[in-house]
Parts: sequence; structure tokens; C-alpha cells
Amino acid sequence: MNLLEIKGVTKRFGGLVAVDHVDLTIKDGESLGIVGNNGSGKTTLFNLISGVYKCDEGEIYLEGMNITQLPAYKRAHLGLARSFQIPRPFGQATVRENVAIGAFFGSLIGEIGEKGALELAEYYLDKVGLYEKRYEIANSLTPIEKKLMEIARALAMKPRLVLLDEAMAGMNPKDIDQVVEMINKIHEEEKISMIAMVEHIMRAVVNFADRVVVMDQGRKIVDAPTQEALRDQKVVDIYLGRFALEGSHAQG
Amino acid sequence: MNQGKYYPFAVVIAIFGLLFVVGRGFQGMWEPIALIMFYVAVGEAFNIFMGFTGYVNFGYVVFMGLGAYGMGLVLSSAMLKGLGIWILIPGFAFAGLMAGLLAIGVGAIALRLRGAYFAIATIGVNEGVKYFIEGAKIWGGSEGIIVSKQMKMLFGHHLSSQITTFWADFMVFGIALLAAFLTLEFLHSRIGYGLIALREDEDAAQVMGVHTTKYKNISFIVSSILAALIGATAWCLKTTYVFPDDVFALSYTVDAIVIVMLGGAGTLLGPIVGGLIYGILKYWLGVLLPGFQLLILAPLIIVIIIVFPEGIVGVIKKRAKGKRLEKFVV
Repeated sequence: MNLLEIKGVTKRFGGLVAVDHVDLTIKDGESLGIVGNNGSGKTTLFNLISGVYKCDEGEIYLEGMNITQLPAYKRAHLGLARSFQIPRPFGQATVRENVAIGAFFGSLIGEIGEKGALELAEYYLDKVGLYEKRYEIANSLTPIEKKLMEIARALAMKPRLVLLDEAMAGMNPKDIDQVVEMINKIHEEEKISMIAMVEHIMRAVVNFADRVVVMDQGRKIVDAPTQEALRDQKVVDIYLGRFALEGSHAQG
Repeated sequence: MNQGKYYPFAVVIAIFGLLFVVGRGFQGMWEPIALIMFYVAVGEAFNIFMGFTGYVNFGYVVFMGLGAYGMGLVLSSAMLKGLGIWILIPGFAFAGLMAGLLAIGVGAIALRLRGAYFAIATIGVNEGVKYFIEGAKIWGGSEGIIVSKQMKMLFGHHLSSQITTFWADFMVFGIALLAAFLTLEFLHSRIGYGLIALREDEDAAQVMGVHTTKYKNISFIVSSILAALIGATAWCLKTTYVFPDDVFALSYTVDAIVIVMLGGAGTLLGPIVGGLIYGILKYWLGVLLPGFQLLILAPLIIVIIIVFPEGIVGVIKKRAKGKRLEKFVV
């Protein structure tokens, strides 16, 4: 059975169709990269999956269960976790409390007490390399540390599927390699499916994703295994072609 | 952290105990101590909602007022005359019930609003309830309820004067202790973590699995019921009357906000420290410079809030990080 199945999902904002009849499936244990320019509908798609927005059309299934109408918090209890494009830490709480909130309210809701939640928080903070900062106030972290904390927070929810929204934006290549390595390690150890969304950073996608989906103007235009997708003419047109064109403009 | 969960509660009990000893041990100190304790209790109860959620309930005083009415109505009911001192139990229960029901109603509607909209809606509730009581002439209308005669009948002369001079104040200590205990329980439970999450970022909290509406309502109702218990003692048993102009005075909400901000919102000890300072300042300034206390108090409070935006306890908490003191400052 597919872990996540999206059928004909559409979201409009007034006259703008932000997500246009997108179908998408992800298998248990798979890692998927979603690539697309700014405004291509990636973040809207994430918001539809996590329940921030409701779909205008289409249906979303998690492990065969229709979650299209469920509020965001219930989807979280069922095992959906995400990070945000612009980090949204619980600023005045400590780093450890932030992650403990994930443990308390994720798929373990009702099964875990304060002691367990804090232990789980420390475990994942150790994994992302923030253990030493666990008593710091979340707002005092650097932007990259905040992103790492959000990943830990999502993992502490013990999710079935993690949505990573631009988890590597703003990082230098060395940091990206490090984060990708960390994510890959967690992916293997925890057997969590992941969808990572990135704007440009092909480097991250190549090293992370089994499969790549390319979005353009709200539509899914490519859905293929990573190596194949990179050779796809449409992908070349969107990424390389445009850059080549811009280059020739600059010269002319 | 769990093994030291109740350490800060020892600090609370120590402070309350010290206040009690000072109040009983020194001539003429009980009245000021009772006033300080009233502010501590108000702050601690208010903090359970404002401190944890970041929402400002400007209509807070309506719940204290309803509590006073709840107790007043039970005391003056002919049916319950035979109960003697035990009448306080249905009195408190009815006070809490009235406030709880109003909180459920107001919460269901107003807690859909955020930030300033919520604050404005709650001011409306307070004014609405007050004018409804006066306009519809229920519960004595603008004349209010006077229970001094009933109290003498129920409790006897001696005990009823003891209630107004000592036991009502003592019960405020008890309510403050209850509020502090609930705060500590919140801080170490799923409710508290969920409330902190929604205070910091409500949308992110929802995506993280926090049923924000539920938790907001829980803390709103708990805070309101505690307010009603304070109203029932300090504004009915102690004063022996309930006047709508007194018990729906918006200035008490402002007192509560200042106490919580001054001491540290969302902390256990904050409202105690805030209530102590505020109570002492208000009382002594009232004695030394009657009429001028607000003129001095207001700028002083502005300065303190600018210098310590996290409140006094918030600052101490930061300083205490990594030290042995940490376990006690929450």
C-alpha cells in the first residue's frame, strides 16, 4: 500500500491556481525530492498535505485513510510531520522544550509523559548535533541551527512521513552535504519516509532522493527516479535552459 | 527534571508562610498582608490563562464578579439556611459554576479571535454582564446584594466577624496556593507544553499536533473558575456585600496584567513576586501619598516593564541557568 496518496489535488487563491490537479504517491520508506521554482506550488502542496490549507478539489490518503477533511493536529497524530520554509521555533521555549513538544503531540500523543518526551527530545537533539544547546532559548539559535532543531522536532513526533520544506536553503555546500548525510542516516535508521522540497539545490536532491518530482506553475511535470529526472528535457529546460538563456542575454 | 518538580512549590509555601507569620505576628499588619495576598492570588489565577497563552483577557474581572454574586446568592438563599458554615461549599461551587459556564460560552466564541480582537471582545463581555444585571434588575440590580444579616444568621455574630477580618483572607491564601499548584502541574504536563507552543506560534503548534482550541479553552476555564473563587471570598465573604460597580471594575483586570508582566508571564513565581511588589507599592503609596499612588505607580511600572520585559522572575530564571538555584526558580 502507498503511504501517501494524493489524487487530483487542487488549490486556488482567487483566480490563481496554486496547485493544479496534482497526483502523487509515496511508498513506505521512500524518499522523494520535490523541485520547482519559487511560485511553482511546492509550499502550497505541503500546506495541503499537512492540513494548513484545505483542498478545493481532490483527495489525500495516508495509509489508505482519507485525511482530506482532517484538521492539521489530527494529521500530526496520524504520523505527518513537517518543517517550515522559514523556521518557526517556539521562540521563548528552550530548544529541548521545542523538541519535547513534538514528542508530546506527535504519533505518541497520550502515550508519553514529560520524562519520556524530554528523553526523546534529547535523543533527537543529539542526532542533529544540538544536544549541547538543549537549555538555550530557541530564538537564540542561528538560522541553520533553527532548521536543524525543526528537523529534530519533526522526528521526535515519531512520524510515518516527514515533509522537509527547504531544509537546506541558505546553507553553504559544506553544510548541505552534512545535513543531507544526517538526513540520509536518519532515513535509514528510522525507516521514515521523507519528502524534501528544494528550490534550486540539485546537489541536495541528487544525494538524498530516490525519486524526483518537478513542479511548474502548480502542475507536476516530471515524476521519475532521480537520475532519469535529471536527464529529462523539461527539467533541463526549466533549470539549465533558463540559465543558459539568461547567460546569452547577458552577453548580448 | 521530574525529580525536582515540586522544589519551586516549596518556595511558594515558604513565601506564603512568611507572609502569614508577618501578618499575624505584627500589630496592624494583617490588612496590608491580606491586600498583598489578594493581588498574588489574582495574578496567579490570571497567569494561568495570560501567562500560558499570551492572550489578554480584559474581561477577567467579570469572572471575579460572578464569583462574588455566586457566593452572595447562595448565602442569601432561604432554602440553604440550615447548612450553617457548610453553606460555603455550595457557595464556592455555585461561584465556580457560574464563572465556568460563562467561560465556556465566551471561550467558544471569543477564543476564535486572536490577539487584540480577543481582548476587545472580552471587555465587551464584562460591560455586557454588568449592564445586564443593572438593567434587567436581577440580583438586586444596581443596589447589589447585601449579605451581612444572612451571614450573622448563618454563622453567628462572632464567627461572621471573624470571617470578615481573618478567614476570608486566609481562604485567599488557599486559593493562591491552589492556583500555584495548578500552574506547576500545567508546566509539567502535556497541557502546559501545548499552551506554550500555541503562545509562541499558534499555526505551527497546530501542525505539530496541538489541538489549540481545546487547550486555550481549558486554560481559560480554569483561570476563570479560580477568579470566581477569589471573588467569592474577597468580594463577598470579606466585604459582606456585592455591588455591581465594585465587582465589575475594569481596573482590577489592569492590576492583574501589571502583576503578571511585572513578575514574569508564564512562570510560577512571577505572579507572586509581581503581586508582592504591586501590593506593597499600592498600599504604602496609598498611606504615604494618598491620591497620588497611581501617578507614581504608573511610570514606575512602565520603567520596570521596559527594563525587564520578561518580568523579574524571567530575568532571575535566565541568570540562574546552570546554577543550583535553577531548580527553585520556575
